[in-house]
Amino acid sequence: MHIVGLYISPIAIGALKDLILTILSTLLSFVLGILFAAGRLYGHPVIKLVIGWYVEIIRGLPAILQLFIIFFGLTQIGINLSPLTAGLIWLVAYGTGYAVEIFRSGIMDVAQGQREAASALGLGRWITMRKVIVPQAFALMLPALTSFVVLQLKNTTLLYLIGYADIMYQARLGADATEAPGTLYLMAAAAYLIMSLVIGRIGYRLEKRATAYR
Amino acid sequence: MSNEVVVSIRNLTKRFGKTVVFEDVSLDVHRSEVVAIVGPSGAGKSTLIRCVNRLHPFDEGSLQVLNHQLNKGSQFPSKQVLNDIRTRVGMVFQTFNLFPHLSVLENVILAPIEVKKVPRKQAIQQAMELLDMVGLSEHANKYPKRMSGGQQQRVAIARALAMEPEIMLFDEPTSMLDPELVGEVLDAIQRLAKDGMTLMLVTHEMQFAKEVADTVVIMADHRIIEKGPSREVLENPRTGRAQAFLKRVLNPVHATELEREVAVGHGGGR
Repeated sequence: MHIVGLYISPIAIGALKDLILTILSTLLSFVLGILFAAGRLYGHPVIKLVIGWYVEIIRGLPAILQLFIIFFGLTQIGINLSPLTAGLIWLVAYGTGYAVEIFRSGIMDVAQGQREAASALGLGRWITMRKVIVPQAFALMLPALTSFVVLQLKNTTLLYLIGYADIMYQARLGADATEAPGTLYLMAAAAYLIMSLVIGRIGYRLEKRATAYR
Repeated sequence: MSNEVVVSIRNLTKRFGKTVVFEDVSLDVHRSEVVAIVGPSGAGKSTLIRCVNRLHPFDEGSLQVLNHQLNKGSQFPSKQVLNDIRTRVGMVFQTFNLFPHLSVLENVILAPIEVKKVPRKQAIQQAMELLDMVGLSEHANKYPKRMSGGQQQRVAIARALAMEPEIMLFDEPTSMLDPELVGEVLDAIQRLAKDGMTLMLVTHEMQFAKEVADTVVIMADHRIIEKGPSREVLENPRTGRAQAFLKRVLNPVHATELEREVAVGHGGGR
């Protein structure tokens, strides 16, 4: 119990940091993901190709390798990033790669008839996207987006490898200092579990509301 | 029906890749004329009317819609031309294609507000009148999926009418409906015809075509095989292909028997 009391506040602070990183990187990934998805669907062939390759690279390379290239690799050309900056860049870059595919398939899953109906009414491309396609795509994508946020949360653990003081970092520190690794890792596990359950719950609520029309 | 030609189709040909959808199709549609396009599936009827509001491009020939010349090929006309055509030509689809995430009322007011910049209040008032006309004003706040197919299609008609079009295109508006729901949709279409709307209607409802249409066009084998005043075409078709088609739809069981006899009679030597 003594150990729990000693480490509960560093782990809570770590959890808060991870949560903020998750929210921030998710928002940025969604914005970039939507833009990239639109580019991949409707852009110039060169843009389509570049985004296609971007997605392949992000999906094809191990997560740790990507992070290490950004944090360690870039020092070789004189770019020295703090763990936080490097971590955030990686989370956004990685998240964007996955978000593109979620948004792209969501947009494509909205029936062709919806586009035709919008066109026949004279609605422009932008209004069709905003008023017709995206609201329906959003409802279709919500389960995937919820998993995405949980995945991003879990990805933050990797940042401890470049020295960012998140939950995992604190747990590791405590495990080494106290010789009670079981207790500390269980504390870290509890923190992650609580956060992912909350995210899952929010996703479920949103999904219920977004699909009320069905 | 007036003398003014609002849609002029000249030697139009449309292909998907190498497959010919229709070729060398010519047809004039006059203001307030009701044109029914009938024929076996795969003849290119739906694709033809989709060319009129430029949902599909065409490959050869010329097409004039409300004094706008549409060019062949995949290049879109200018934004103004496209917009003018799309606002003045309404369309109703076989599968209704209502926006499922919007209420009935929101479906109807969306385009007037976004495209024509009608003030919301005015758009709502106009929408309620249209919904009243198709007998659905008390369903204004429902989501489309909560309604029957016939009701959804009537909403789709109101949605298209909200743009105050001069021409309405109907792409098999009743073929997805249960038989007992067909009547209510046909009633709404007939009312439009009586009010002098120009209609291009792809349909399998021969009786309706005969009663409501001024002109009937029969398409088969990727071309127009017969066109003329509706009664004439449907009661006394001139070509053998048209006779065979009409026999088959008007009297399906008997016609197959007859065809078999004809086939045996002619192809006996095989």
